[in-house]
Formats: sequence, structure tokens, C-alpha cells
Amino acid sequence: MIGPVDADTGSIPATSAALPIQSPDPEAASAWLRSDGTPVIELRGITRVYSTGRLEVAALRGVDLDVYAGDFLAIVGPSGSGKSTLMNIIGCLDRPTGGSYHLAGTSVETLDDDDLARVRGRAIGFVFQSFNLLPRTSALENVATPLLYQGVGRHERNERARAALERLGLGDRLDHEPSELSGGQQQRVAIARALVTRPVLILADEPTGNLDSASGAEVLRLLHELNAVGTTIVLITHDSDVAVAATRQVHVRDGLLVS
Amino acid sequence: MRYLELVQLAVSRLAAARLRAVLTMLGIIIGVGSIVALVAVAQGATSGITNRIQSLGTNLLTVQPGSTTSGFVRQGAGSATTLTLGDAEAIASLVDVAAVAPQVSTQAVVVAGDKNTTTSVVGTTADYLAVRTYEIWQGSFLTDVANQESLRVAVLGSTTADDLGLGEDAIGTDILVGGIPFRVVGILQSKGSSGIGSQDDQVIVPISTAQRNFVAGTKVRSIAVSVSSADGIELTKARLTSLLRERHGTDGTNDDFNISDQAQLLDTFSSVTGLLTLLLAGIASISLVVGGIGIMNIMLVSVRERTREIGIRKAIGARGSDILLQFLIEALVLSLLGGLIGIIAGVAASAVIAAIAGWGFSFSPLTVVVAVGFSLVVGVVFGVWPARQAARLDPITALRYE
Repeated sequence: MIGPVDADTGSIPATSAALPIQSPDPEAASAWLRSDGTPVIELRGITRVYSTGRLEVAALRGVDLDVYAGDFLAIVGPSGSGKSTLMNIIGCLDRPTGGSYHLAGTSVETLDDDDLARVRGRAIGFVFQSFNLLPRTSALENVATPLLYQGVGRHERNERARAALERLGLGDRLDHEPSELSGGQQQRVAIARALVTRPVLILADEPTGNLDSASGAEVLRLLHELNAVGTTIVLITHDSDVAVAATRQVHVRDGLLVS
Repeated sequence: MRYLELVQLAVSRLAAARLRAVLTMLGIIIGVGSIVALVAVAQGATSGITNRIQSLGTNLLTVQPGSTTSGFVRQGAGSATTLTLGDAEAIASLVDVAAVAPQVSTQAVVVAGDKNTTTSVVGTTADYLAVRTYEIWQGSFLTDVANQESLRVAVLGSTTADDLGLGEDAIGTDILVGGIPFRVVGILQSKGSSGIGSQDDQVIVPISTAQRNFVAGTKVRSIAVSVSSADGIELTKARLTSLLRERHGTDGTNDDFNISDQAQLLDTFSSVTGLLTLLLAGIASISLVVGGIGIMNIMLVSVRERTREIGIRKAIGARGSDILLQFLIEALVLSLLGGLIGIIAGVAASAVIAAIAGWGFSFSPLTVVVAVGFSLVVGVVFGVWPARQAARLDPITALRYE
């Protein structure tokens, strides 16, 4: 059902020794591009209405958006613009009230909660503002946890998690718990966790919001490198300085996209 | 394979909060431990009592005088003195009666050399040995001749002999029973019971001698009747009743005797101990329920405390059922581990109690199975609700939770 959203499609063999991050499989990447130009994300007329008691608030009022494989898109908007709601819908954490959403060709609004969880686990890698690592859990285990929910065996899980952490330069921090890591290191663990499942899309929600400028720049540089080797990235931010890191920008205002 | 992973995950989460896990388990440990211990103690007590009753003698009927009425106050059974040696002789002539031992008894100080003890002095006949299934360790038992001649001879129970410092060379020596000299003719083999009312702590003398020296009169305190086969007990009891009614001139409304058998005694005891076991197990299971509520409490708090963790797990691909299982397994691990520790504690406690009380330590695997099953049920019942709460959390809300 979610054919293209398979764990194998985004596999990352080594091609470039210069980069700390290995590039996605060119075969798989071109398969995305070849499929009649089908976008990774295809939003059509997306609306989202929150009803609190008698009050109805429209957070999104009809959003159309296409994101193609290999894109590095920044969704920029001030707080209250609806960009968080948009991120929740793109990340399959929330369902739209109306409109249609295809993720890698799969219509998402027809999926039940378990399928949404599966899509989140396999197709999307999240990078949050507040890192959202599991407390009292080693970096290695944090990165391996998404694979646990996909039924990957312990050995392979740990190998892949170790490889992802090593790619992000954290090979000597495998056993450290989040409280023993700096903010920049925690965000790199979070990126490793997002990468380990080989997702079709990395969704980064204000990834630099809790970091000093040096660590923030480092994280943006990492996202850039990932994108340079073919990873599709959607970056949500209110900061236009951060947004310039992306190759394409869309602005959200009052629940609508403005270019 | 997923379940094994989830068990490992649950164990590692519990290990991260060890003190809390132990405190949570305490309720289950106490509940299961007390059930195991109480049931084992009740079983030990029951078998101890049963053994003691059976060691009184086999196929035994006991005839006792009925109660007397003094003024308007009815006295206890045995207060009347209506049985005589003549009754005992008449009973002995019934068919199916193997042996008859009339008894009188009193308390007296017994002195041997520089040692003395206070014990019960039983006056009886030669049949007593067979009726009560005693065996002679040294010397011989009372003879019919000793009774006919009212000889001052005595047979000692093993405990009494020990208390007086008398061994195998005591046969033929003299002791003082209530100040009157008696010659020791035999010492009984121990029956192995101990405590109050021990069957090994007594001095046995001919009944005629006892009636002359200790209990003025010819009345008999009780008559022990040994029936030749277990099948004949009911019939013999009926024959005994009609014989005694005839001899005493009573008609069933004013009987001045009553006859009890061991089966009655055993029935009474087992119904009492059975009730006691049930009662104690009931009380113990209340603490198990309380322990279960404790687990539920902790799991609910834990769901609240780990809301964000649940949100993260859901965002990275955990389904509701994964979260449900994780929390359910945590509750199960807590209750099972608590159950196992409880069993060990309960078995240890009952072994100590059995050693102190001096009855055999009995350990029933059934109790363990029931206790483990019980704690599993507690884990599931009280774990499901918090686990469902956790599984139903909305990932967005959970992620934002501080």
C-alpha cells in the first residue's frame, strides 16, 4: 500500500568520502524523480479547523504545496501563521479537516492511526526544536528506537544506529545520555535518529531554535550536506536568516501560502 | 520477537527507577507472601492435628459420662460420674470390641530420687496399651493381676521418665506418686508429640490402685473402646448406646453418657481449620488487591510523567498497541516479580513457623501456581487502564507536554 515508502528506497551507501554523510542511493533517488514527476509531498486545498467549544478557528485555509525529491524547502511564517499546523499535517501527526495529502504517492487521509504511525516511522524523519530525545537513554538507543518499532532485530538496529551516529561525528558519544550532551550534540543525535530509518523526507521544526549561533550554523550545514546528496528536507522556521539556508522558500500567513 | 524486545524495554525502564519499582512491588510481595505463608501454616497445623488425633489410637470410641445439672446450671460433659467398671466389663463382652480400657485420672507430684515433676496419673487396665496404640520401650505394661491385687506398680510415659532422669535401669526401682511409693515396671515408647496434653507425659497405674489411693470411689472418668474393624464403628456405637441405656435405665431423652469417635473429632477440626484457612486467605487477598491498586497508581503517575516520552515514541513510529504493550508489560513485570519475591518470602516464613511450632513443613506447588496466577491477574487488571491512557495520547499534545 505504501510501496515507495519502503525502508529500502532511501538506503544510503557510501559514495562520497569527503562528506560526513553518505549520499542516498542514486538509483532509488532517481526512481523518485522518474515516477512521472510525482512529488514526495502533494498538498491540495488543505484546511484545518480547530473547534474549541463554540469557537471555530481555521488554522489552514486551503494550502496547495508540492515538494519534489531532492528539494530543500523552508516554510517560513511568524507564530500563529499556521505553520506548526502545516508541519503536523505534513508529518502525519495530525489530519487535515479538508483537502487531500499524498505522501510519496500514498493518500494519507485514508490511513488509520496505526498506518499513520507506520508512515511516520518509515517515511519521515523528525528533527524538533527541543530535540525530543528519550531521557535516561543512551544516544545509541535513542537512534535505534525508530527501528525497534519497525521490527528490526537488535543487532542490525545497533549497527545502523552506530553508523548514523558516526556519520554525524558522534562515534565517541554512543553511550552518553542526552543530559550528558551539549545542545548541538543532542540535535545531531536527533538528526541521526531521523536519518537512521532512511526516510523519504526529513521534517525539521525550528531545528536551530534552542541552539547558540555556532551550533545552529553547524546543524544548518549538516542539513545542507544531507540535501546535497539527495535527501529531501522541509524546514519550518520563523527566522528568515535560517530560511535562506534552503534552496526554496514558501511563506505562511494567516493559514495561506504566500510566495 | 517484538514481545521479547518490549519486555527488555520495560525491564530497562523499571531499572531506571529502581526504588519506585521496589516500593510498588511491596504491596504484591506482602499480599502473595502472606497468602503462601498462611495457607502453608494452616495446612501444617491441620496435618499436625490430624496426626495427633490418629495417634490416640485406631478405630477408637470414647465413652464419657453425660453432663449433670447442678441447680439450674448445666455442667460440662464429663462432670457426671455415672460410668463404672461394671460398664467397662459389659462393653468388653460385646462383639466386635477388641479392647476396652476404663480410665480415671488425676494430677500428682511424682518424685524419683532428688527429681520431681507434676504430671497426670492415669488409672487404667492392661488393655490401655492396645487401645491407645502405645508400645513398651522398657520392662512390661500393667497386668490383669496387678489390677486384681491393686498393686502399687507404675508405667512411665517417655517424657515423664526423662523428666525424672529415669532410663532403662529404672525398672524395678521405686518412685513416689502423690507421696505413695510405687514400683516402676515399664517405660513407654515415645509417640513423638509434644506440648500441652502430650501423650508421653503421664504415669500409668492400675485403675483399682488409683481408685483406692487417688480418686475415692468406683466411678470411671472415661472408657476407651477399640473396635476390631473400621467398618464396625457405627454398628458398635449403636450397640454400645443401647447397652448403656439398658444398664443405666435411660431412654434417649435423659442419657447420662455420650460416645464420640475419631471421625467426629477429625470432622470438627478439619471444618474449623478449613474455615480458618479461608478466612486468612481472604484477609491476605485484600492486601493483594491493595497492592494492585498501588501498581495502578504508580503506572498512572508514570503515564503522566512520561507523556512527552510517549509523544516522542509515537512520532518516531510507535503505534498505540506498542505503547499499550510497553506499559502493560511494565505492570506485569512489576506484579510477577513481586509475586515471585512474595512466594520466596512466604515459603521462608512458613518454614520458620513450622520449625517453631514443631509440625511438618508442607509446601504445596498449587499455592505457588495460584499465587503467581493471582499476581498476573492483578498486573493485567490494574495495568490495563493506565496502559490504555498512555496508548490513547495524541502525539501532538504529548510532544508539547511539559
